[in-house]
Amino acid sequence: MGGYKQQPGASKGEVRRDGKRVAGKQAFPPPGSGGSRPTMAPRDLAFIPETVGGQEPKPAGDHIHDRDRTGTTVGKPMALVDSNAKVTGQAWYGDDVRLPGELIGKILRSPHHYARIKSIDTSRVEALPGVVAVATGKDAPHRFGVLPVTKDEHAMAVEKVRHVGDLVACVAAVDEATAIEALSLFDIEWDVLEPVFDPKLGLEDVDEPIHWRGKYHLSRTNVQKRVFQEFGDRSLVNTPAASSHGSWTMEGVHHGFTEPHAVVAHWDPNGRLQLYTPQQVPHYTHRALSTVLDVPMHQINVVRTFVGGGFGGKSDPFPHEMCAALLAREAGKPVRITFDREEVYWINRGRHPSHINVKMTADEAGRISGFDIDALIDGGGFASFGHVTSYYNGVLATAPYELGSFHYTGARVWTNKPASGAMRGHGAVNTRCAVEVGLDEMAEQLAVDPIDLRLANLLPPHSRTISGFRITSNGMREALEKVREGSDWDNKFRQLPLGKGIGIGCGFFISGSGLPIHWDPKNFPHATVHIQVDMDGGVTVHTGAADIGQGSTTAVAQVVAEVLALPVEMIHVRSHESDTSPVDLGSYSSRVTFMNANAAIRAAIGIRDQLLKAAWEMLGYHPNVLVLNDRRIYYKHDPSIGVSYLQALHKAQEDTGALIARGAYRSPPMGGVHKGAAAGLAPAYSFSAYVAEVDVDVETGRVSCTNVWAAHDCGKALNPLAVKGQIIGSCHMGLGQVISEKMVYGRTGHLQNANLLEYKIPSVHEMPHVEPIIVESSDPEGPFGAKEAGEGPLLPILPAVVNAVYDAVGVRLRDLPLTPDVVFKGIEKAMKKDKIDDPEDLPCPRLTHGPLQPTLVERANLHRERDRLRQRSEDTSAYVNGVLFGFDPNVPLEDQVDGWRDADEPLPEQLAELGFAGRAWLKKEQRHMGGDA
Amino acid sequence: MLMPPFELHHPKSVDEAVALAAQLMEAGEGFDWVAGGTDVLPNYKWRINTKPHVISLAGIPEANSISSTSIGCTVTLDALIQSDESHPLLVEAASKIASSLIRKSATVGGNLCLDTRCFWYNQSEDWRRSIDWCHKADCGTGADCRVIPNQNTLCVATYQGDLAPNFMALEASVVLVGPAGERTMPLTEFFELDGMKKNVLTPGEFLLRVELPEAASARVGAYQKLRVRESWDFPEAGVAASWVPGDIDSLRVASTALESIPKLHDAEVSAHLKANDRTVDVKALAQAVQKSVKPVNNTALPPAYRRKMVRVLTKRALTALGDLR
Repeated sequence: MGGYKQQPGASKGEVRRDGKRVAGKQAFPPPGSGGSRPTMAPRDLAFIPETVGGQEPKPAGDHIHDRDRTGTTVGKPMALVDSNAKVTGQAWYGDDVRLPGELIGKILRSPHHYARIKSIDTSRVEALPGVVAVATGKDAPHRFGVLPVTKDEHAMAVEKVRHVGDLVACVAAVDEATAIEALSLFDIEWDVLEPVFDPKLGLEDVDEPIHWRGKYHLSRTNVQKRVFQEFGDRSLVNTPAASSHGSWTMEGVHHGFTEPHAVVAHWDPNGRLQLYTPQQVPHYTHRALSTVLDVPMHQINVVRTFVGGGFGGKSDPFPHEMCAALLAREAGKPVRITFDREEVYWINRGRHPSHINVKMTADEAGRISGFDIDALIDGGGFASFGHVTSYYNGVLATAPYELGSFHYTGARVWTNKPASGAMRGHGAVNTRCAVEVGLDEMAEQLAVDPIDLRLANLLPPHSRTISGFRITSNGMREALEKVREGSDWDNKFRQLPLGKGIGIGCGFFISGSGLPIHWDPKNFPHATVHIQVDMDGGVTVHTGAADIGQGSTTAVAQVVAEVLALPVEMIHVRSHESDTSPVDLGSYSSRVTFMNANAAIRAAIGIRDQLLKAAWEMLGYHPNVLVLNDRRIYYKHDPSIGVSYLQALHKAQEDTGALIARGAYRSPPMGGVHKGAAAGLAPAYSFSAYVAEVDVDVETGRVSCTNVWAAHDCGKALNPLAVKGQIIGSCHMGLGQVISEKMVYGRTGHLQNANLLEYKIPSVHEMPHVEPIIVESSDPEGPFGAKEAGEGPLLPILPAVVNAVYDAVGVRLRDLPLTPDVVFKGIEKAMKKDKIDDPEDLPCPRLTHGPLQPTLVERANLHRERDRLRQRSEDTSAYVNGVLFGFDPNVPLEDQVDGWRDADEPLPEQLAELGFAGRAWLKKEQRHMGGDA
Repeated sequence: MLMPPFELHHPKSVDEAVALAAQLMEAGEGFDWVAGGTDVLPNYKWRINTKPHVISLAGIPEANSISSTSIGCTVTLDALIQSDESHPLLVEAASKIASSLIRKSATVGGNLCLDTRCFWYNQSEDWRRSIDWCHKADCGTGADCRVIPNQNTLCVATYQGDLAPNFMALEASVVLVGPAGERTMPLTEFFELDGMKKNVLTPGEFLLRVELPEAASARVGAYQKLRVRESWDFPEAGVAASWVPGDIDSLRVASTALESIPKLHDAEVSAHLKANDRTVDVKALAQAVQKSVKPVNNTALPPAYRRKMVRVLTKRALTALGDLR
């Protein structure tokens, strides 16, 4: 076998004349040789960009990281680095942490929807043999919350309980049976209050609002957050050529992750808290623990266990984490708390139940003249991420289309139900579904193909949305074209027989929230990565990126391996402990690959440069002419002139020992100045387009989704296998929300289906065949061009299915999920309207192209070329939302149009005509009412 | 979730099981029978009507035998599906129950004796405490029914077994054994219209086997099941139909998951045959079956919808039987 050896034999070291080695002058033991691959693999030119001499096509143009590519891992499908641990059952999840002498903690939960706690008597609990520690709200009076602006949670109820299942007290005992028994021994006096369940009632003044925000409280309502955003030329909506008005009800859904919450707390011999928890965002837990326990952060080590699925449901700091720490502190022993499934539903943080009204208009040229969205979202008992959700429900609908105007009113209200929070596709999913279905309806009115309507209205790459978001790379057009072709759309749409349908939906999502919640990005980076390389050659990467199954550890390992040209097995990612990992914001807002991998690339470049410098010294060739490839560094014109990676490493280590480097990522300054301008800002955005095919049983209303063509623009697929997995998984999760999943609150306000039998996550039988299609628009700021692929792919499946159901049976449905009874009701209504007895006689929608169709096709063709040039930066002219309507991108729009709005508060004359949630603006804050100053 | 403590007994014969039951009754100790445990044990974990003793039937060889005319109570659904002796209708129905994994444990006897279900009842102890209990699991409080308040006489929990209507359509009878000896009755007489009482089993008695008449093998049948997902889910409505081809008088239609008991619709069928001169108008008969059931709101799908679907399911089941003349 030929090739350059990685370990160029044992250099003999200094040898005595008798042939023995000189003591202390042995050859450096050859560690970490090539293993089973002792020789260098040839450079994999197929995975080195054509822009730097390789063969990988770069249709979107060159990328700043192209010169850091070595053809090692990026773009190659690989199993996740932690998959062995998972498939062999060796991964340690929350409940797998068993410390010696552990006690079992159990939480007493409220049986009331809303009640004041008059007194808690724990004496009978404490008297029970086997009970070691008891805690109630009094033991932890400090508030916490995931967002600094809305800290409204306690470890346990301090004054009031706010939903059935809210935490009241907790107990640690020698075993689970004792702990359960102890829960029945609390003597509590309640003052039961009048609960609110219907979010529509949340806008009304009540005697006892669920929370009290003092001078910022909105009158005496249960409104937690209200939002108003208006941009553009509102006069454009007055004479529409087509319009759609949809009033939607979307039920709340839960993440349905496999692993229930579990936590182990232990105060070590030095009095430091060691907390093991499956957290997506260990850093927030770290902060909240410090606040609640009154212990400095450096005296707490948060250990993220393997996370058995999170999807946003494990990203809040949780009260049970505080409980475990409190109990362990009191008991002086480790305490483990593991949730039952029902407790998982009671802590919830799932997608908000929503009432969304969308009015959309298009003009005679088939341009979208206005989006008018009103979203009332049901936050349940606590704020959680709701402040952000309230914005996302509107502002994440401002792309991928160019809009004439945009108007959004949103309100999030408290109700006496488990708290809603962040869930995959955070805030964007429901509105996205509503607007995509509205587009379909407008396309029908305009007698055009809905895909062509979309293609003729897309924002180009390197542009700005109406709300001021900076769009960089944009693969929306390619995604639409690919699913159109893949699904044979042109031969199916409006042509399938009754009961069979095909539908389109698009998506747009942030690739990392631009604003770190707890600090200004100017002062501190979003993500930091440390790399250390010792004499064995193994590369240890310290990062706080929380792998929740999405593969962030793999992504980090991959980019480091890519830059250093090392097999990925040589990269060891340490990300579990806050003691060793640099501060990172964790896994939310689809930020990890973008931010953390960027930081990792920078750190890896730091190591690489030290290695190249050493090689320069050894070879005499400047780093500019050296090539890194498979554990070897050599002169680019003659591979025989080179050193192995280990030789270079040992040379570099001569004076310093282990090599160390760090890299950080911070987002560039961006966005507008209006209130809420930061919400929805991201350094890049992902785009997706799905086509779904469904079968609808017209007699029963049962919908089954059979095929999905799912194109997602993730910038650059670092690991195509993982991207495909995310796309398919997103389809499954989104499909659940659109066909079967809902949190059912019954007549009495109780959650009726807090279990996996009655909470209907689709089974394998309901899963369609998904054809994942990866679109690579090469984001200029993404790591090797990558953007997110974890959340955005969920969005389009909902509208694609709803639109496909319309195509199949001609019924527009706006109540999610589309359970058989909902669909059947729609069919019955249509039958009644058309006076049909047999559902088999329902008319199917058909399309005859109108005069606008060729206009749109022509415009889309022009835009295709426009987009190509802009994507490749061959056209660098300014482009902002509004150019399609004839405005000059180089002059502020408000100077060009009378009445161009860029507003975060309604005008007085608008107050009378606001949507339902918008009516929150009719209320005054306490400080303006002279109350509660 | 922690299993509450109970003492598990393993009798090796029917006599031993019956004697054990008698002995526990004498001592005033509560007990439940368990076969596969896929219904009893989840309820136990939720602490629903738990008992200090559980008698397993798994070790009784006689209860595990299967032939074309006799199926023991501990024959698993999977064994029922795999057996060459099983009637195709039973195979079809059993294949639609729960998931393949659960069918490896779940038994024929357990499915017939399935506890009735209700979303106010199949909940954990904490949950049921939060609604102040319910009539069926009142924990000594005398709580009202949560489905239909202000009626404290009957439990309206829904019977969601899949096999029962199919066995009814095949004219099955059941053999019960207990301290008072053995008795046999048509399956149609086994169930009692009360979600709490459920069936005629007396204390200490259990369902030993199901028997099919020899003539059942001549029957062809069909089972239609309404559910949200193709796996796991209990029926939201189910209709079974069978007949001996060519013999219109042999037509039997039975339904499940609509009330507290499964129902053989013999009255509707015979009235229909009479009115239609011994022919079947599928649409009209389906309508008649729909009219005879009154589901309540305690399962995943709304009762009005489930009731409407009875017509569709009946129509489909009847159509699958071929030319009904």
